[in-house]
Amino acid sequence: MTLYIARRLAWTLLVVGAVLLITYAVFFLLPNGDIATRFAGKAPTPQLLAEIRNRLGLDHPWYIQFALFVKHFFLGDAYGWPGLGYSYGGGVSVLSEITSRAPRTLWLITGAAILWLVSGVAIGIVSAVKRRSLTDRLAMGFALFGISAPVFWLGLMALWIFWRILGVGGGTGYTPIAQGVGSWAGHLILPWCVLALLYAAFYARMTRNNLLETLGEDYIRTARAKGLSEREVIFKHGLRASLTPIVTMFGMDIALLVGGAIITESVFNIQGLGWLAITSALNQDLPTLVGVIMLTATAVAVMNLVVDVLYAFIDPRVRYA
Amino acid sequence: MQRHLRKTILAAAVLALAASIVVAAGSASGSKTTTAKAGGTYRVGWEGSFGFTDAFDPTGEYLGNAWALYSNLLLRTLVGYNHVAGAAGNVVVPDLAASVPKPTGGGLVYTFHLKSGIKFGPPVSREITSKDVLFAMERLANAKDGGQYPFYYTVIKGWDAYAAGKAKSISGISTPSATTIVFRLTQPTGDFIYRMAMPATAPIPAEVAKCFTGGKANQYGRDVVSSGPYMIQGMDSVDMSSCASIKPASGFNPLSSLTLVRNPDYNAATDSKAARQNLPDEFDFTIDSNADDIYNKVAAGQLDDEVSSPSPKVLRKYLTTPSLKNLLKQNVGDRTWYLTLNLTQAPFDDIHVRKALNLIIDKTGLRKAWGGATAGPIATHIVPNPMLHNLLSNYDPYKTPGSAGSVTLAKAAMKGSKYSNGDGMCDAAACKNVLMIADTRAVDKGMVPIIVADAAKIGITLKVRSVTGAYGVINTPKNNIPISERPGWGKDYADASTFFDELFASSTILATGNTNYSLVGLTPAIAKKVSASGTVTGIPSVDPQINHCNKLTGNTRVSCWAALDKTIMTTVVPWVPYLSAQNLNVISTNVTKWNYDQFSDQTAYAHVAVK
Repeated sequence: MTLYIARRLAWTLLVVGAVLLITYAVFFLLPNGDIATRFAGKAPTPQLLAEIRNRLGLDHPWYIQFALFVKHFFLGDAYGWPGLGYSYGGGVSVLSEITSRAPRTLWLITGAAILWLVSGVAIGIVSAVKRRSLTDRLAMGFALFGISAPVFWLGLMALWIFWRILGVGGGTGYTPIAQGVGSWAGHLILPWCVLALLYAAFYARMTRNNLLETLGEDYIRTARAKGLSEREVIFKHGLRASLTPIVTMFGMDIALLVGGAIITESVFNIQGLGWLAITSALNQDLPTLVGVIMLTATAVAVMNLVVDVLYAFIDPRVRYA
Repeated sequence: MQRHLRKTILAAAVLALAASIVVAAGSASGSKTTTAKAGGTYRVGWEGSFGFTDAFDPTGEYLGNAWALYSNLLLRTLVGYNHVAGAAGNVVVPDLAASVPKPTGGGLVYTFHLKSGIKFGPPVSREITSKDVLFAMERLANAKDGGQYPFYYTVIKGWDAYAAGKAKSISGISTPSATTIVFRLTQPTGDFIYRMAMPATAPIPAEVAKCFTGGKANQYGRDVVSSGPYMIQGMDSVDMSSCASIKPASGFNPLSSLTLVRNPDYNAATDSKAARQNLPDEFDFTIDSNADDIYNKVAAGQLDDEVSSPSPKVLRKYLTTPSLKNLLKQNVGDRTWYLTLNLTQAPFDDIHVRKALNLIIDKTGLRKAWGGATAGPIATHIVPNPMLHNLLSNYDPYKTPGSAGSVTLAKAAMKGSKYSNGDGMCDAAACKNVLMIADTRAVDKGMVPIIVADAAKIGITLKVRSVTGAYGVINTPKNNIPISERPGWGKDYADASTFFDELFASSTILATGNTNYSLVGLTPAIAKKVSASGTVTGIPSVDPQINHCNKLTGNTRVSCWAALDKTIMTTVVPWVPYLSAQNLNVISTNVTKWNYDQFSDQTAYAHVAVK
């Protein structure tokens, strides 16, 4: 197992490196004009543009810039370790921006993940057990709605109905937990629910389908024949076997949301990592974009590893060399 | 019993009616304008990002929104403005200087006498001297420090030598005393006074700014030392004992918020109430990624003002609801939106085609894409009317019924073109699949179909490429873009030179970051230098006229610019101007006083108040 984890970590480094290389290549090969002009005012002189390019490190070929980035990443820079440079437009350290915004995204994901996992699996179980009943149909109808409704629409509707009309919740924005748990939770409850709804729907369907398949197995029939309670049959024998794909999906969903909850963060003005990613892409702020991509790629790779390791505990048939 | 009950009910009804009358009278008087008083926090929602071009470092900052903060709240320049709307808002008044000097020495010398008792804010907290203004000018001249408009000051003697590193000081600027600074120019420059009202000329304390030079210059934006009535929150805690000890002020996070609080070292007796009233105790500018959320919060009173663009839905709500109408502020913005035509690219290398396009474009339709009449008046020439003292307010060389375009008039113009076989249509192969660069904003998506359809009426078929950040494509001459709908141009200060110099002078044609998109004045030599191709000979130039007008002053200067505007519109025709943009602001009911700053085309934060 240790050897397996070590091998996977080595692959993670390679994957993240490849993602970064592609990011640099795409950023510079796309026809987006001279980035220096964005920070040069209306009628820049060639000298000013040269100074800006020098200040931003744009006077090197893209592959040299990539190499310099890798070097600073491992050795650190003026702003600390890992060295992620500073944003073109804001003149702020990318590392400090990411570390200050990461808690917003992580709290958003954590709360939403708990909600969608509990509600999605619960609804899936109930739906599978009461198959073809009214409960099942309502549950799958909810799932269809959750999958179909666009997140931005859900977010705006939630704000309008709950915050604007009913006065429930703190509205948009983010309050750090240190400034009061009530305000913190009040601002996050609506984004949690909105983000969780889509995933809960997927998880409900997946849990239902997997559980139905498992409950049709011979060993489940044997368990029932042996006189085990239905509760034991479902939770101890049925659900455990159905969990494997859910664990896979859960890990990937969490990882992708690290840099990907862009719409929810934008609608609710949370200004986390997803918002930082999209803003930096639109402002051609390469260092910030690279910093967020690096974090997201690492998160995806690490979560993949965590999920694979968990398999070994969930499913005794899985063993790693 | 029943009679008693009826009496009781009647009495209750009368009481309720009386109470409601009292309440209504109270709220009616409450809805009248409340007297503006000092205090409170003015809260502004800012959409998306601050968008600063140089991280809020005044030396390099070229964003109008930033200038509003500098000029109204943070920085005082030798001369400034009263931060009001209209023509009065474009009049230069004394600020640090005791008076606005008249040039002497044949228009070549400007002598400013500083008022005494004006201090920098914390952590510097000392009297401002002429040397601090000199330091700011030197910082602006040093390209390594990121100045973005030093070209306005190359008329100062010795500027170029200093900028090139060939001199240790700018010979044309002298400081004979702590309260006197003298500028000597190489040529008469009628708008020099305006140039000395620009934020980059505001005094900077060398003891702090010396720590921010070269590659780190724009980090000064986190610690801008105030010379105005407000300062960045936390500046009083900044340790300037050494460069290493200077940390960013706590009140400014470039990616999320900026808080300005009263500068304890500000002396209101050295300022004028006409220029700055300084009523709120604090200003909070907060980024919000959701524009709808900003307007919801303004409506709910959680924000007082906004830096955003109201959507058609928001505009409709405020325009059609009587109680909200006075909360939507509309002011002329001194900005022109236009289609740019590249004089080197077929078919626009033919003046007849350019004139025909001016006559066919439905300007009213384009304005509708911007939101209709509230977006502003139709533009019929280059410079906004207030800047030309309304000399051209009735001038429309390409007038069509309802400004909706005219096929008849356009075809008549097209007949003289080499690309037409005399039928009034653009028939040649060069008229087909002409590349047009558009941006991807909602307004661009609304305008593109109109432009494409109108051009097709005279035989020009456009191939549209939509690019987010289209400026980056059209400001590179080697891309040889024939036409673009993206450009707009606003003044830097209220003199038409800020239009003509940068938009039509051949000296401003650059290989990258070019703003003379039409390449007016291009010569084969310049074309080779910037890698432009196509028709590079015979391009009209207006350099002599620009140079002539630049030497004039007063009303003669304004008349000269007006005449040049007409000349360009009729003999060069590089544009299809279509909109003189208005600036729209939505404010909340908390705001008891609001004004518009014509200089920065933003809210006049110097003249606002909240409950």
